[in-house]
Amino acid sequence: MRDTATRRARRRTPRAFAAPAALAVIGLLAAGCGGAGGASGGGSNKVAIKLTADGCTPSPAKIGAGPVTFTITNSGATKVSEAELQQKGVIVGEKENLTPGLSGTFSLNLKAGAYEVYCPNAKTERTAFTVTGAAAKSSQSPKVQAALNKAVNDYHAYVTGQVDVLIPATKTFTDAVRAGDMAAAKNAFAKARAPYERIEPVAESFGDLDPRIDARVNDVTDPKKWTGFHRIEKALWKDKSLKGMKPVADQLDGDVKKLKALTDKARFQPAQLANGATELLNEVASSKITGEEDRYSHTDLSDFEANLSGGRKAFELLEPALKQLDPKLASDVSGAYGTVSDALKAHRGDYANSGYVDYSTVKDAQRRALTQKVDALAEPLSKVAAKVSG
Amino acid sequence: MSGGPTRRGLFAGVGVLGAATAVGACAPRAAPAARAAVVPFHAANQAGIGTPAQDRLAFAAYDLTVDGSTKDRRAALIDLLRTWTSAAAAMTAGRPVPGDSNLGAAPPADTGEAVGLKPADLTITIGFGTSLFDDRFGLGDRRPAALADLPKLPGENLDPDRSHGDLAVQACSDDPVVAFHVIRNLARLGRGTVVMRWSQLGFGKASSNGADQQTPRNLFGFKDGTRNIHGEDTATMNRWVWVGGETDQPWMRGGSYMVTRRIAMHIEAWDRDFLTDQQNVFGRYKYSGAPLSGHKEFDKPDFAATGSGGPAIPADSHVRLAAPENNGGTHILRRAYNYTDGVVASSGELDAGLFFICYQQDPRKQFVPLQRKLGASDAMNEYIQHVSSGLFACPPGVRPGEYWGQPLFA
Repeated sequence: MRDTATRRARRRTPRAFAAPAALAVIGLLAAGCGGAGGASGGGSNKVAIKLTADGCTPSPAKIGAGPVTFTITNSGATKVSEAELQQKGVIVGEKENLTPGLSGTFSLNLKAGAYEVYCPNAKTERTAFTVTGAAAKSSQSPKVQAALNKAVNDYHAYVTGQVDVLIPATKTFTDAVRAGDMAAAKNAFAKARAPYERIEPVAESFGDLDPRIDARVNDVTDPKKWTGFHRIEKALWKDKSLKGMKPVADQLDGDVKKLKALTDKARFQPAQLANGATELLNEVASSKITGEEDRYSHTDLSDFEANLSGGRKAFELLEPALKQLDPKLASDVSGAYGTVSDALKAHRGDYANSGYVDYSTVKDAQRRALTQKVDALAEPLSKVAAKVSG
Repeated sequence: MSGGPTRRGLFAGVGVLGAATAVGACAPRAAPAARAAVVPFHAANQAGIGTPAQDRLAFAAYDLTVDGSTKDRRAALIDLLRTWTSAAAAMTAGRPVPGDSNLGAAPPADTGEAVGLKPADLTITIGFGTSLFDDRFGLGDRRPAALADLPKLPGENLDPDRSHGDLAVQACSDDPVVAFHVIRNLARLGRGTVVMRWSQLGFGKASSNGADQQTPRNLFGFKDGTRNIHGEDTATMNRWVWVGGETDQPWMRGGSYMVTRRIAMHIEAWDRDFLTDQQNVFGRYKYSGAPLSGHKEFDKPDFAATGSGGPAIPADSHVRLAAPENNGGTHILRRAYNYTDGVVASSGELDAGLFFICYQQDPRKQFVPLQRKLGASDAMNEYIQHVSSGLFACPPGVRPGEYWGQPLFA
């Protein structure tokens, strides 16, 4: 039984990898801009979904590939308030919190394939939805396309490589937890988390898996159901007892193994790499620099480094194509990555085998300086996706 | 943007009607004719100094963070000023920040919160801090003598994190969202070149309509600005506010110097003070605003007048100490706003006061001697403290195609 509330609370950022079939969510805001026109306009297919107690039937149930705008309306279903578009169990797009009387839209650029519209708590929760044909041809030059193809393939290799590191590193950690060896577990904590944090936006796209692995205490509605790294972190550093942690450790091993199968078959698009890199920086700014992520262990800086390097990897893979598309943007982002990396290096240390100092010793003025450099990087980085999505 | 009534406009109408009803004596009047409420951006002087004060303030100080050679830094500063100037011209006219805001795969160029709102007399005024003239940008020899660091002034307790800055932007509008939108978007446009050092929101006047205009009240409940300089009084503006031929730096001609002071008010203590004492602190009657020597707000204060047992306007009253006739004729143009930032964590008392902004031709001869005197002797000091300070050289206005401060780099 999935815990919808948990999953929702966890979802703070637009998820670049939520949509393997989508280039990017388009026109969500433009729709509210009163005659702003633009991307969401002409040529877009329209699909209506009515939320009822019986289900959520899309109309039409079959459309051609390309830009699609879904309009979801709830005129009176009290138990059903959400519609998701899924492909092979992965959320591609969604609209939630539509209580009776509300409606909402989301827009996607869909590739051909079999999808499902999913509305939890309806009598029929899943309805088939089909996209036919092929999307419009890319406007990019063959040279740029080749560079982008290489980028997405190499990124796939990077992600699966990180999962290959994650599984044994997690096992070192969980073995220590099961053995009741607090010191060894503390030493293995930061090292186990790093590969996960490098690919976090990808992991977040697999439904419940991210909250099971990485939820913080404020992400869960029922603390008894709280699992993953941070649950054990609290046991180690705050409760100072590993009592009851064996099942949590076992589940964590199982969950990271599930990532393996999911990432093996995942396929990425260039804009997802760019948006994922921006999301990683948003993660840094919203939870690492605040000290919220590792509030018991204070190993936030190693997660910071992992977020940074995971995003930088994605950017560097896109860089050859971006240099052809917008050389100034490519050099701005590259320079800003260097500035953030240098700033982070100043905090290197050997606290808790994390490679960095205890984050609780980093003063507010230093945290502020880090945030400003991250913001200075994220702003130009946020412009990359549109450039590479052609 | 369409000229039709916005939702905001409708609510504002309800408010006016409500006020008239409450007062009772006022006959309901026809709503004033709808006007564009756009203050021209391109002019000889920057808007936001002599133009009528709006209801709301969003103020921000920014620090430049660029590295590299002096030439690189200077180029980055000029680039920023160009970008900011074109964005400011657009926002002042009620248009969004230039760039694409409708591209699905990219973040919108404009952040969007002011979409559908009228500019509501938005003015955006830039100032250059003293630190801009250090060795980073090769501007050391362009620093005006009048931009001398403010000396230590009596009674002040300044928070360096909320003082000074390389650049300052004063955004004023009758709509708080429109004003905030400016400092937010300028920070975003400058990301990587500047960081916001501190900011201040302010609220001020009940109304800014011409014929209706009343002297607004500060949070002490007293009228503030009764004898202020009026922007349309060209002779006084030229004598006391605008920089002219007297400057050692020709690039500042047509500009003005801005001093900002965050003045914390001990509201709780003030509210316990008895009315007569409150009036003696100001030297004015609380409700009418009249000087204690007179009957009506705009009566000229008679500092020779005597009351029971002494001068009618006490020797340590604010109005006596600050009056031009007691300061060699010195005037400053005040453009202050009330502020509140929640409660003081350590005391639980209201964190509120006056964000004081003034403009002048030469702070060394105007703000500094005035504040030296007030800081030492003003009866009001029992209830206030200056907690932040800023001094900025505001360059002249720009013509189409120019950027803010262009003559500085010529």
